[in-house]
Amino acid sequence: MTHPLIQISGLEKTFSSETGWFGQWHLPGFKGRGKTDQIYALNGVNLTIYQGETLCVVGETGCGKSTLARSIMGLDEPSAGEIHYLDQRIDHLNNRQRMLFRRRMQMVFQNPYASLNPRMTVYQTLSEPIAFHNPQLSRLDVDEQVETLLESVGISANSSDRYPHEFSGGQRQRISLARALSVEPEFIVADEPLSALDVSVQAQVLNLMMDKQEEYNLSYLFITHDLAVVEHFANRVAVMYLGRICELANTSTLFSAPKHPYTQALLSAIPRLDSTAADPIRLIGEVPTPTEKPIGCVFQARCPYANPRCYSESPEMRLQSDGSSVACHAIEESRL
Amino acid sequence: MNLLSVDHLNVNFHFKKRELTALIDVSFNLKRGERIAIVGESGAGKSILGFSIVNLIGKPGYIHSGAIKLENKDITKMSLRQLQDIRGKRIAMIFQDPMMTLNPVITIGDQLVETIRSHTKINYKDAKNIAIEKLRNVQIASPERRFDQYPHELSGGMRQRVIIASVLLLNPDIIIADEPTTALDVTIQAEILQLLLAICRDNGVALILISHDLGVVSKVAERTLVMYAGQIVEEGPTLEIINDPQPPYTQGLLNALPQMALPGQRLNQIKGSMPSLAERPSGCAFHPRCPYATDKCRTQQPEFIYSGVSSVACFMVEDMLSEFSQDDEGQL
Ligand SMILES: Nc1ncnc2c1ncn2[C@@H]1O[C@H](COP(=O)(O)OP(=O)(O)OP(=O)(O)O)[C@@H](O)[C@H]1O
Ligand SMILES: Nc1ncnc2c1ncn2[C@@H]1O[C@H](COP(=O)(O)OP(=O)(O)O)[C@@H](O)[C@H]1O
Ligand code: SF4
Ligand code: SF4
Ligand SMILES: [Mg+2]
Ligand SMILES: [Mg+2]
Repeated sequence: MTHPLIQISGLEKTFSSETGWFGQWHLPGFKGRGKTDQIYALNGVNLTIYQGETLCVVGETGCGKSTLARSIMGLDEPSAGEIHYLDQRIDHLNNRQRMLFRRRMQMVFQNPYASLNPRMTVYQTLSEPIAFHNPQLSRLDVDEQVETLLESVGISANSSDRYPHEFSGGQRQRISLARALSVEPEFIVADEPLSALDVSVQAQVLNLMMDKQEEYNLSYLFITHDLAVVEHFANRVAVMYLGRICELANTSTLFSAPKHPYTQALLSAIPRLDSTAADPIRLIGEVPTPTEKPIGCVFQARCPYANPRCYSESPEMRLQSDGSSVACHAIEESRL
Repeated sequence: MNLLSVDHLNVNFHFKKRELTALIDVSFNLKRGERIAIVGESGAGKSILGFSIVNLIGKPGYIHSGAIKLENKDITKMSLRQLQDIRGKRIAMIFQDPMMTLNPVITIGDQLVETIRSHTKINYKDAKNIAIEKLRNVQIASPERRFDQYPHELSGGMRQRVIIASVLLLNPDIIIADEPTTALDVTIQAEILQLLLAICRDNGVALILISHDLGVVSKVAERTLVMYAGQIVEEGPTLEIINDPQPPYTQGLLNALPQMALPGQRLNQIKGSMPSLAERPSGCAFHPRCPYATDKCRTQQPEFIYSGVSSVACFMVEDMLSEFSQDDEGQL
């Protein structure tokens, strides 16, 4: 966990409703009338991911987690800012240049139904990327690799001629992971890979991810809603709110001493097994849709500590004495 | 008296060649105002049980035998008319996906008004006032504005609140909530659960909460039923089950939670997976995955016994109890 693998600075992503899926609500001919809505999904994200670490990104729905993941993978083009992979800039690559990174960076999606091709057998799904990235391998070598890979994710090799719908959700998610691992990447982005799964299957998939990390010194950017998973799995945690990171800390620090008012509310909402746990801090309202460029702190509308400065000036990330970084005026002013 | 009693319920699925069992001898009671949870992995039969209670199990499934009594009236023997009177008005259902209930092309306000006017004769304006009041009760901000919006304009959490509001309109005795928060964020999940809890408590409504997450049910349900492969394997007070799970399956479910392993260590997964209906193992259905399985488990079905903590169907627990009682006798 020493060398930075990916460095993200000042990342911004604005969707305009005409090109985004919001536009689909408009009828033909409606386009262009009125003002175009902008959605400010990312508003200046700075983040470093180190080699071999698991960095979890948490935050409520719509806060920009998937957009961040997709930007890193080159699936969304950033509106501003830079992304570096080791010492190479990767935010504006053309398709050919991106090819070279395909094998080093892989993504696992939330819905294993949608991410596996339903018309390809498991063998086809796995052999294709292996053969593509290793043209020197013979057919037999490829077969052998597919077999090893399947066994390593706990799927018996003799089911390799089956189609995705013949597997359970957990098995499908392990096949997605096998496909991501098939090209021996250095970095895997996993966007809510567990949320379609129940607790026992979650445990299978998480164990597999931890095993593979140890085996290959993989780095993970792991996006999840589930804070119990974060506490268990992450080395560091980035808390996001409306397209910004508001707190970044080592996992144990974050859970023992959450600092940002939003982090505090988020952590208090974890359903605990013991019924004596304190009641959650209630946040008023839900995450607003960011249709205006935020002025001041993005959390102002729901923050019990907001003061006039919070409405005019955006708080910067500041290093705290325990090594965490927090963006909040109240903390800087020692009001909190 | 019990408000609802499910008695040796068996639900089968009838396929061309085979008769498959989906629920086997499920029995439990629910008192007025009581809150119970049904937990288990996906495929355990929780949703089938939920649907069966309102006799909504669809083909190829059917209720094979057993009784479901709502205050002594057997739901399995009711006519369609009688059933329609019960559904919604006495037993309401909330699903994981609110869009299963909401009509996407009608404003949420009109859907609520329609519901109200379907069972009381009042004019639109009065019905609208009631609807807005209910939206306020479920803590929807600016309900007057929301009244005119379509479901797609609301977030997932807000839609689930609308569902709860619509359920409340008919003053049901029982709410069956099938994974109502699984699709929501943790913060919103907690809010919705608190809302559900408060609403059941304030109105004396009984709740059957279906979930795969014991953490979720621990705050809401007084009693928990653990299901595996269409059967109840443990039943007892929620806190007792969480603190002292008896059968290996409940232990496995709890141990698999991330908070049960040290940070960074492997989680305690239950090996294998839930069998499909067609692959139901003989004897105790959990035996292929159970670390304590014996030959007896592979051939015989364990009976329900009271362990002192909860009711359990498991030979290991049974053997442990009989050892204890033998020890006691030895001491006497
Ligand atoms: N293609 C698009 N066009 C328009 N708006 C978009 C598009 N993709 C995302 N957005 C908007 O950008 C914001 C961030 O979305 P994003 O998908 O990154 O959220 P998220 O944090 O991943 O949420 P979730 O937890 O629900 O997955 C949201 O307001 C979303 O509606
Ligand atoms: N319509 C159906 N046809 C055939 N099998 C079904 C049908 N509905 C459910 N099942 C099967 O019944 C079992 C229990 O399903 P379900 O009640 O949905 O589980 P849960 O709600 O606990 O996840 C599963 O094996 C499932 O595949
Ligand atoms: S900067 Fe102000 S509004 Fe933002 S979290 Fe801190 S106190 Fe609240
Ligand atoms: S009856 Fe046997 S197989 Fe079933 S849970 Fe108990 S010990 Fe395990
Ligand atoms: Mg997302
Ligand atoms: Mg279900």
